[in-house]
Amino acid sequence: MKRKITVTFVFCLAAIFVAVFSMLGCQSAPVSETAETAVSETTAEETIPAEADETTQAEEKVTLRYTSLRTEDVDAINRINAEFTKAYPNIEIKFEPIKNTEYDAALKTSLETKTGADIVMLRSFDGGRQIYDSGYLLELNDLIPNMSSDFTPNSLRAWSTDDGKIYGLPYFGSIDAVWYNKAIFAEYNLSEPETWDEFLSICQTLKDNGETVFAHGTKDTWVLTETLYCDLGPNFYGGEESRLSLINKEIKFTDQRFIDAFDKLAELIPYFPKGYEGIDYVTMQQMFLNEQAAMWIGGSWELGMIAESGIDAGWFAPPVENKGDTTHYAFYADLALGINKDTQYKDACVKYLQWVATAEHASLLANELPGMYPPLTVEYKIDNELAQKIIDITRMDNVKVTGQLMWEKLSSQEPSGNSLLDEVSQKFFNKKMTSNEAVEYVQKGLDTWYFK
Amino acid sequence: MNLSKIEKNSFKKFRWYILWFLLPALIIYTVFMILPLFNSMRMSFYTGPGIVPKEFIGFGNYIKLFTQFPFNIRLSNALLNNIKLFIMVMFFQNLIGFFFAILITRKIKGTKFFRTLFFIPTALSVIVVGFIFSLILNPVWGIFDRLLEFIGFGAYITPWLGNPKTALVAIALVVAWHNIGIPVVFFTAAIDGISEDVLEAARIDGVSLSGEVRHIIFPLLKPTIGIVSILTFVGNFSEFEIVYSMTGISGSPEFATDIFGSLFYRTTFGTTMNVVSDVGLGAAIATIMFMIILIGVLFFLRIFKREV
Amino acid sequence: MNRNKDLKNYKHDLNYLNHSSSGRLRSNTGYVFTYIILIIQSLVIIYPIFLTITTSLKTNRQIFKNPFGMPTDFNLGNYIKLFEKANYVKYFLNSLIVSVSAILIILIVSSLASYALSKYKFFGNKFLSLYFLAGLMIPIRLGTINIMQIFQTMHLYNNLLSLIIIYSAMGIPAGILIFSGFMKEIPDELNDSGRVDGCSEFGIFRKIIVPLLGPAIVVVAVYNLIPIWNDFWFPMVLINNENLMTVPLATAKLFGQYETDYGIIFALLTSAAVPPMVLFITLSKYFVKGLTAGAVKG
Repeated sequence: MKRKITVTFVFCLAAIFVAVFSMLGCQSAPVSETAETAVSETTAEETIPAEADETTQAEEKVTLRYTSLRTEDVDAINRINAEFTKAYPNIEIKFEPIKNTEYDAALKTSLETKTGADIVMLRSFDGGRQIYDSGYLLELNDLIPNMSSDFTPNSLRAWSTDDGKIYGLPYFGSIDAVWYNKAIFAEYNLSEPETWDEFLSICQTLKDNGETVFAHGTKDTWVLTETLYCDLGPNFYGGEESRLSLINKEIKFTDQRFIDAFDKLAELIPYFPKGYEGIDYVTMQQMFLNEQAAMWIGGSWELGMIAESGIDAGWFAPPVENKGDTTHYAFYADLALGINKDTQYKDACVKYLQWVATAEHASLLANELPGMYPPLTVEYKIDNELAQKIIDITRMDNVKVTGQLMWEKLSSQEPSGNSLLDEVSQKFFNKKMTSNEAVEYVQKGLDTWYFK
Repeated sequence: MNLSKIEKNSFKKFRWYILWFLLPALIIYTVFMILPLFNSMRMSFYTGPGIVPKEFIGFGNYIKLFTQFPFNIRLSNALLNNIKLFIMVMFFQNLIGFFFAILITRKIKGTKFFRTLFFIPTALSVIVVGFIFSLILNPVWGIFDRLLEFIGFGAYITPWLGNPKTALVAIALVVAWHNIGIPVVFFTAAIDGISEDVLEAARIDGVSLSGEVRHIIFPLLKPTIGIVSILTFVGNFSEFEIVYSMTGISGSPEFATDIFGSLFYRTTFGTTMNVVSDVGLGAAIATIMFMIILIGVLFFLRIFKREV
Repeated sequence: MNRNKDLKNYKHDLNYLNHSSSGRLRSNTGYVFTYIILIIQSLVIIYPIFLTITTSLKTNRQIFKNPFGMPTDFNLGNYIKLFEKANYVKYFLNSLIVSVSAILIILIVSSLASYALSKYKFFGNKFLSLYFLAGLMIPIRLGTINIMQIFQTMHLYNNLLSLIIIYSAMGIPAGILIFSGFMKEIPDELNDSGRVDGCSEFGIFRKIIVPLLGPAIVVVAVYNLIPIWNDFWFPMVLINNENLMTVPLATAKLFGQYETDYGIIFALLTSAAVPPMVLFITLSKYFVKGLTAGAVKG
C-alpha cells in the first residue's frame, strides 16, 4: 500500500517534470529559466543519496558507526578506537554520540528505519531489553566466547533474558557516592564523614562559613533518582535486599523504609544552593568544577572531567546511620554495547566487540575515562589512584553493593517506576510533596501494571 | 470578450492542461501533508511496538488517555498549560505588539528602523532563542539575576525556569520576545491601510488618542486581530522547540511546562531512561491536538468574521 | 488638484498646531514618551543578541568572572575551537541544499497551480483554493508519525531529500496564496493576446506570466526561507547521521556536547543566529509582504 503510494508519487513527479519542461512554451521558446533551475535542482537532489551512502561505499576498508549517549567522551573514545584501528587497520570506528536525554528516541527510530549505527550503546535492564525485544540486536552468546566467563554475573544479568540469551556486552559500570573539594574541606579542617550526623555537621560548618555546600539542583529529574535517592538512599531503605524484595513484590514502595529514605534525604535540602530548583545537571558540573561548591552528590563517571579541570577532589561512600552499619554502595551495570542486527559489517562489529571484551580494552577505557569500570572478573590495570580507591570500596568489609532501585523489571512499561520516582523526587525535593505522598504516588503508578 | 469565448468553447472538451498545472502542487501537498495527517489519525486506533503499530484496538488509546492514571493527568495538564501559554502569549505578544504598532505608525522619525528591528528575533531559530534565554536565566551564571540585583530587585530572584509558578511565564515571555515582530507587522500594515482621511477627520473632531484607537483603529483591525489570534493559537498548540530548549522534554519543573508538543514527543518516541515509546498513543495525542486546533481556528474565524 | 493638496496640508498643519500642547502624540511629551518606550523595547530586543555575540568573544574565565563586561580583546578562540571540533561548514551546506531545493520546488509547483486557480474557471476551483489554503492553518508536524512511516518505506530516512519534500509540501499553501493574489492582478488581456499568437497554455504561462512574477517570486522565496532554514522538528525526527545534520539540529547536538564550555556554546549560538539575521535584515521587506499577504485577504 505504502509502496504503491511511493511508486505512484515518484512516477508522477518524474512525469510532471518531463511534461512541464518538454511541453513548455511556444516552439521558439528561448532556453527557459525554469528549466535551468530544474536542472540545478535535480543535480542537488542526486548528490544527496550519494552523501548518505558515503560510509557504505568502500569495500575493503570498513567504517563502523558507533552511537552512544556519552557526548562528553568523544575525544577519549576516539583515542581508544584509534588503538583498535591500529590492531585492525581495515576497520575504522566513527563515534556518533547523541545527547543522553534524546538518545533513546533517536536510537529506536534509527533502528526501526534501518538507519541505525552498527554498534549501539544500550542502557541496562529494561532500557536495553526494549531494544532487544523489538528484534534489533544480535545475540552475542556465541560471538563473544569469553563473555560468560570474564564478566561479572551481575553485569551480564542486566543485558540478558531469563533463558540466558545475552544481547549486550557490558561496557562499564558506575558508582555513585559523594565528591568533595579537598581544598575547601581542608580550609575548615573537615574530614570524610562516616555517619549521617557527621555528614550533616560538615554541611552546617560549610554553610555557616558562607560556602555553597552542594553543587546540586532539581531541574533535571534523573539526577534526583539516579544520584540522590539511589545513591545516599540505600543506607536507609536497606540496599540490595529491599530492591529485590520490591521486584519480587514482597514489599510495596509504600513500605516505611522507602519513606524513611526520603525523610533522611530531606535533611540535605537546607544545604542545597540558592535557586536549586532551577539548577540543571550541567550547572551542577560547572559549579563543582569551578570550585564554587564543596560537595557534589554524583557518579564516578565524572572523574575524567574532574581530573581534567585540575581540581583536587576526594570521594567518600554514602554515610551510614550509626557507626558500624553496613554501607550500601551503589555500583551498578550502566551501559553495554550491542550489535545492530541489520549491520552490513557483522564480522567487523564482532571483531570490535571481541576486542572490547579484553582486559586490554578494559584497561584502556578505565584510564581514558577514569571512574568508569568495565565489569570484568579478570584483573585490569587502573592508573588513576582515585579511580582505584572508588572501586576498592566495593571490596571492603561491611560494604554491600546495590543497583539502581527502579531499573530492573519495574520500568518495562508505562508508567515506569523510574519515571514515577523521577517525578515525585522533583516534587519532594522542591518541597511540594511529603514523603508519604511521594511513595503513594509511585505505588499508585506501579499498581496499574506491575503490582496488578 | 475573447476570453469568455475561449472559456465557452473549451467546456466541450476536458482541458487537460489545467490538470497539469495543478497536479504537481496537488500531489506533493496531498501526499506529504494532508494524507499523513489523516493516516496519523488512523494510527491512533492501533497499538504495538515500533513505528507502525499493527494491533487494532478501537478507541483503546483514547480510553487510556482520558481515564487511566497517569496518562489522564498528563493530558489535562498539557491542555491547561497550553491554554495558559496561549493566554499569556496573547497578552505579552499580541496586545503589546498592538500597542507598539500604534506607536510605530505615529508620524515619527525612524518607523522603518523600528519595524525591522522588532522583527529581527523572528528570523532566529526557536531553539537558538530558547538556548540563549536558558543561559540568561540560569540561576548560577545567568545575567538576568545579576541585572535584577544591580537595579535593586535582588529580593525577587527565584529560579525562573525551576519554579513551577514562573517557568511557564518565563517561556511565554521568551515566545513573545521571539515573535513580537509578527503582530507588529500585521497591525502596522493594517493601520497603514486605514485611510488617512478617516483618521484626519477624527483628529479634526478632536478625538483623543485612546478614542481614536478604540473607535476607529480597533474596529477596522478586527480581521487582522482574528488572523493574529489564529496564528498564535495554531503556533502555541503545536509548539515544542521552545520547551525543548528551555526546560527539556519532560516538562520540568513538575510538569509545569509540559505542553501538547512535549507530551506528544515523549509519548511517541520515548525519552530518557526506560520510558517506553508508544506510537499509537502518540497518534491519539496528535489527533486530539488536531481537533483542538480545528475547533480553535473555526471559533476565531467565526467571532472575527461575524463582526466585520 | 494642487489646491486640494494644499488645503489638506494646511489642515494638517492646523491640526498639528491645535493639538501640539494637548498631550497627544504629536506634542513634545508625546514624542519623548513614544521614543522612550520604543527605545526600551529596542534594548530588550537587541541586548540578548548583543550579549550572545560579545560573550562568544570572551574566554571561559572572563565569562564567569565578568559576565557583563565587554570582551577585553577580540578573541576568536571559541570559534576556532568550534570549527575544529565540529564540521560546521558541512551543516551549513546541508541547510543550504535543503532550503534552496525546497524553495525551488515550491516556486515551480505553486506558481503553476496558482496560475490554474486564478486564471481558469473550472469545476472545483473554489474548493481547491480552499483546500490549499487550509494548509496555512494546519501544523504539518501533526502528521509526523505517518510522515516517518512514508519515508521509512521510501528508504528516504537519513536523506536530505526527505526534508526537501516535506518543506516543499509545507510551503505550497503560502506559495499559492501569494502567487494567486499576485496573478489575479495581471490583466486577462495579456493571456488572450498570447492565445491569439498561437501559444499553448504552458507557453502563455512561461512566456507571459512568469516574466511578470519577479516580485512575487522573491516574496515567496524569502517568506519560506526563514521557517525552512530554522526548522528543528523534522531534522530531529528524520535525520540522525552526523553528515546530514542541518544547522538547527547540529546546534542542539553541539549544545549538548559542549554544555560545560560556555565559550564554545556562545560561539555556536552566534554562528547559528547571525546568518539568518543578516539575511533577514537585507530581505525583510519581502518577508513582511509575504506575511501580510494573508492579512489583506482576511
